[in-house]
Amino acid sequence: MEETGKKGTVTSLASMFPVEEALKGAKRVQETIYEKEKDLGHLQDFVAENSNLVNLVKKLPEELNHDIMVPFGKAAFFPGRLIHTNEFLVLLGEGYYVERTSKQTIEILKRRENSLESQVDSLEAMIKDLKAKASFFDTMASEAAEGLVEIREDYVEENSSGWESKPVPTKQNASIFPEAENERVVDDEEYARMISRLDELENEELAAEKEDESDKNEKDTAQLNEISYQKELDYDLRDSENFRSKKSLEQTSGESNATAAFPNKHNDQEDLTDDVNYIGLVVESSSRDEPSEQKKLENNMKILKSSDKSILPREVKENVQAASTSRSEVQLQSSKPAFDSHKAFTGSIVEHTENLQTSKENSTSSQVSSIQPSKPVSRFKMQRK
Amino acid sequence: MDSHPKVQKYEEFVDGRLKPDLVRALAERDKVFEQQKVFSDLRRNIENLEKNSVTSLQTLVNLGSEVYMQAEVPDTQHIFVDVGLGFHVEFTWSEALNFITKREEKLARQIEDYTQLIASIKAQIKLLCEGIRELLELPAERTVPERVF
Repeated sequence: MEETGKKGTVTSLASMFPVEEALKGAKRVQETIYEKEKDLGHLQDFVAENSNLVNLVKKLPEELNHDIMVPFGKAAFFPGRLIHTNEFLVLLGEGYYVERTSKQTIEILKRRENSLESQVDSLEAMIKDLKAKASFFDTMASEAAEGLVEIREDYVEENSSGWESKPVPTKQNASIFPEAENERVVDDEEYARMISRLDELENEELAAEKEDESDKNEKDTAQLNEISYQKELDYDLRDSENFRSKKSLEQTSGESNATAAFPNKHNDQEDLTDDVNYIGLVVESSSRDEPSEQKKLENNMKILKSSDKSILPREVKENVQAASTSRSEVQLQSSKPAFDSHKAFTGSIVEHTENLQTSKENSTSSQVSSIQPSKPVSRFKMQRK
Repeated sequence: MDSHPKVQKYEEFVDGRLKPDLVRALAERDKVFEQQKVFSDLRRNIENLEKNSVTSLQTLVNLGSEVYMQAEVPDTQHIFVDVGLGFHVEFTWSEALNFITKREEKLARQIEDYTQLIASIKAQIKLLCEGIRELLELPAERTVPERVF
């Protein structure tokens, strides 16, 4: 006890911060809080007024006239009415007024509201801050009143006597470890930086390669598709001929088959192609991905022209009668040379990969026919879009 | 000092009673002044209408927050004037002018009353201050130049 008494100092909190002073501080802070809260109340009034006004401005143009008492000075009114209910004169500030419509006025008011809200927020944060301060002053005052003391003792390293030798190793440890840790941290940081740099470079390389490859791929696929389509068309021709003969043979049974097959289309894309094959328009299914299948469908649609709606996947469930009419159409169309469908192919590839998903149902037939004459754009170009 | 408690009592009276009274009286008088201005404006406006023999007029109505809309008054012959306590009476122009002159007289009387009240409160404050000064035996001349300045 004697030793510590020599080295340290004991000051009561009350002597540093007198109780009255702390209380005075707390009181002052309370006063500021009160003032700020009053301001906040004003601001909230403004916000409420603003929202009321927004409602009013929204409602006023609903009618041509509103009967009101027109104020004439502060103490008098005339019976009158509001006219030009969609014309508002709004103060922008600095004495400048603009004539605005209801909607534009509401926009202005919304902006005002936003600024008011931000003011309210900042004021609330301020009040929170002040309250924390006030509570701090209060606790300080109460602590000072309780007679709390502050004990301060300077640390002196030289006097390492018996009881002080113990803490030394721990201190050393403490001092060594942070350094090691720091070093490791630095190492780690450097390592991470290097790795990230390497990753970056690698990514760049990869991206460059991919770009080349994708260019090539696109060309390749375009070529492939062309080939496959041509094949398809050949098949179409041949098959349509087959179909014709088959159809004349199996007119009745084919129809019943079709009725069974059409609902299935709705279930599965795979089925869909099969069914289509059955009808004899597409034989080749070169790739299984959806777009190409849908392109094929497009081709079919072209050949089927007027009746294509009944074959579209979404409307497969349409009645069998439509299907049967389509079959008769097919017979008519399929006798045409492949040239026609060839044109359709260029058109369909270009356009329908993009917007097939959305406008499949209603506009395919018109699109196909309308696109036909348009210049064939390379598939490669289109995909770049 | 035996005079000290008395001085404190006087000071308390001045600070706690007379000064708040004075502030309140001033606020009341300001309100009445405002009223007077409102009615004199109204009188001037009605006289203006009469002079120009306006039968219908267009004005802008404040919807709040400085947003204005056009309004139309088809007939200006009848005017509703605030007579107090939230009542508005329909007057013709001449009736309104009669009412306004009466109202202005009343307001002028009220202002006179308030002015006298304020003067008396000020006089009391000054009296007490003099009393305190005498109790503390301070020279009278010291305060006067300050006041004049």
